[in-house]
Amino acid sequence: MSLMDALPSPRLRWDGRHPNIVLVTLSLTMLAAFWLLDVVSMAPNRIVAGTGYGALDAFGWPGALLVTLLLSFIGILASQPSHRHYRALLAAVVVVMALMPVGLMASSYLLIDPEMSQARLGIGAAYWIVLFVLLLCLVELRLRLNLTRIWLTLLLLGVALVWWLCVAFGLERLALVQEFRARDQQFLSAVVQHIKLVGIAVSVSVVLGLALAMLMRRYARLQKSAFAVLNFLQTIPSLALFGLLLAPLAWLAANVPVLSQLGVSGIGTTPALIALIAYSLLPIVRNTYIALEEVSADTLEAAKGMGMRTGQRFWQVRLPLALPVLLEGVRITTVQAIGLTAVAALIGAGGLGTFIFQGLGQAAMDMVLLGALPILMLALVVDAGLGALAEALRPGGTR
Amino acid sequence: MGTRVSNSLSVAPPHKKAPPWLWPLLWGVLLLVSVVAMPIAESLFRWIEPDARQVIYDRAELYVLLGRHLFVVGIAAVVTIIVGVAAGIAVTRRWGGDFLPLVAQLASLGQTFPPVAVLALAVPVLGFGTLPIIVALMLYGLLPIVRNTLAGLQGVEGEIKMAAHAMGMTPTQILRQVELPLAAPVILAGIRTSVTINIATAALGATVGASNLGDPIISGIVNGNMAYVLQGALTIALLALTVDSLFELLQRQLRSRISDS
Repeated sequence: MSLMDALPSPRLRWDGRHPNIVLVTLSLTMLAAFWLLDVVSMAPNRIVAGTGYGALDAFGWPGALLVTLLLSFIGILASQPSHRHYRALLAAVVVVMALMPVGLMASSYLLIDPEMSQARLGIGAAYWIVLFVLLLCLVELRLRLNLTRIWLTLLLLGVALVWWLCVAFGLERLALVQEFRARDQQFLSAVVQHIKLVGIAVSVSVVLGLALAMLMRRYARLQKSAFAVLNFLQTIPSLALFGLLLAPLAWLAANVPVLSQLGVSGIGTTPALIALIAYSLLPIVRNTYIALEEVSADTLEAAKGMGMRTGQRFWQVRLPLALPVLLEGVRITTVQAIGLTAVAALIGAGGLGTFIFQGLGQAAMDMVLLGALPILMLALVVDAGLGALAEALRPGGTR
Repeated sequence: MGTRVSNSLSVAPPHKKAPPWLWPLLWGVLLLVSVVAMPIAESLFRWIEPDARQVIYDRAELYVLLGRHLFVVGIAAVVTIIVGVAAGIAVTRRWGGDFLPLVAQLASLGQTFPPVAVLALAVPVLGFGTLPIIVALMLYGLLPIVRNTLAGLQGVEGEIKMAAHAMGMTPTQILRQVELPLAAPVILAGIRTSVTINIATAALGATVGASNLGDPIISGIVNGNMAYVLQGALTIALLALTVDSLFELLQRQLRSRISDS
C-alpha cells in the first residue's frame, strides 16, 4: 500500500447534511499550527541557533490573513461536501501547497536584512505540520473523488515544479538551499552512492533469494532452518549487525592480504553490503516462497493438461502468476534497504546518511534535513513506483 | 505463570521439541552475563584490539546503559500500545468511521518512512537528548500497532458480532468479550514489530545524544576501537533476541488459549 493506492471501497457520503469531519478537523489542525507555532526561524549565520517567528512576523498581516482565509475555506467547503465542493477543495489544497515556497520568499524579504550576507531562513514547525496535513487532505480527497494514480502524480509533479522554480529563483536565503549550494557535488555523489548501494544489495538478494526459495521448495527440510536463520538476522538491530561485522572484517583485512587487496575492510562498503543483503533476504525469500506456493493447483493442472512441460509450466504459468507478490517483496525490501543504507553511513559506506550523521555531529540541522528529506522522498517514490509496477503486472492488467 | 507453562508442557505431544520458554531463558541469561561480566573477557578483547589503551567500555556500566535503553523503549511501547489500540478501536466504531480510510492509509504509508529519517527529522524540532528519541519512537512505533489493530478488528467476522448482538450483548461487551480477544494475536504481532523496530532505532539515538546501548558502538566507531563496538553490538543483539523470543512465547500462549476455548 502506498500513497497512490486507494482502499478498495471507500465509504462515500454525498448528501450535504453530513459535514466531512475529517477535512474539517484537518483544516482546524492547520489553522492551530499556523497561529500557535513558529512559521519560520531566522539565524544570522550557520552556527547560531535561529530565533523563531510566528505567522504575523513571517508573512505580515496581509499574508497571514490570506493563509487563514485559504485554510478556513478548506474547512468551510468540507462542512457541506458535494462532488463540486470536493473538486474545489482539491484545487484549494494544491494552491496552498504551491504557495508554500512563495510564503518563504515573502518572509525572507520581510525578516532578513540585506546587509547581513550570512543570514539564513529556517523552516519552522508550523510549515512542516501544514505540509504534512495537506498531504493527508490529498489522501482523503483522493478517496472521495476516486482520483486515478496518474492524476495525483500529475498534481504532485506540478507542485514540485513550482517549488523547484522558487528554489532556483529567489529562495537563496533558505538554509536548506544554502546547505545544498555549499556541497552540491558532494550531494549528487551521495545520492548516486546511496542508490548504488541499495541497487546492488537488492539485486544480489533477489538472485540469492530466488535461488534459496527454489531450493526450499525442493528440499522441505531446508525450509524451516532457513527461515529460522533469516528471522534471526532480521531481529538483530541494524547498528548491532553493522558493528558485529566490523570487527571480523577488520581482522580479515589486516591478516589476509589477498582480501584487503580485493577491497574488503572493516569500515566501508563491504560490511554495509553484507548487512544490507542479510536483511534483504528475509522479505524476498518469504514473498517468493509464498508467491510460488500459492499459485493454484488447478491452474497448474490445467497447464499440464494442455501439454506443457515442467519448465514451461514454471516459466509460463507459475512465475507470471507469482510475479505481483514477488514484486511486493522487492518493494518492501527496497524501501527497507533505503533506510538501512542511511545507517550504513555510520560505518563509512557513504550515501545520504553521511549528511544526517555529520549534521547531527555539528548540530547543523539543515544538513540533517539535506540528508533525511531526500531519503524520505526516495523511499516514497520507490514505494509508489514498484507498487504501480506490481499492479500493472497483475494478471488481467490494471484495475 | 510458571505453573501455566509446565501445564501446557505436560499436555504437549511427546514430540521431541525444545520447551517454549527455553529461548527467552537462554537469551535472557546470556544478556545478563554480557552486561555484568564483560570485563572478565578483557583478554579476548585485548587480543582483538591489541593497540588500544582501553578495551573495556567504561564510560558507563553496561547494565546502566541497558536500563536506559529499556526505559526509553518501554515508555514508548506503553504509550504507543495505549494510543495505537485506542485509535484502532475508535476508527472501527460507527462514530469514528469517517476517519477509517485516512488512518488506514496513514498506517500503511508510514511503513515507508525509514526510522532513521524520522529520528533525524525529530531532532531539529525537539532538540538533542532522550526526549526526541522517545517522541520519534512513539510516532514510528504507533503505525504497526494501529495497522494490526485495524486488521485484527476488521478480521472479526460480521456474523460473530451479529450473533453476540443477538445474544443481547451491548457494543462495549461485544468489543471487550468478542472483538478484542479474537483480534488479540494480530494486535500482539503488531506490538512485536513495533518493539523490535524501536529497540533498533533507540540504539541510533546514541548519535543524537541519548545515552544507551548504542553508545559503545558509536564511540567505538569514532575512536576506531573494535572492542567497544563488539561489546555494544553483542549486548543490543542479545537484548533484541531476548525481547523477541519473549513475544514469541506470549504469542504461542495466546494461540493455544484461543484454540483451547
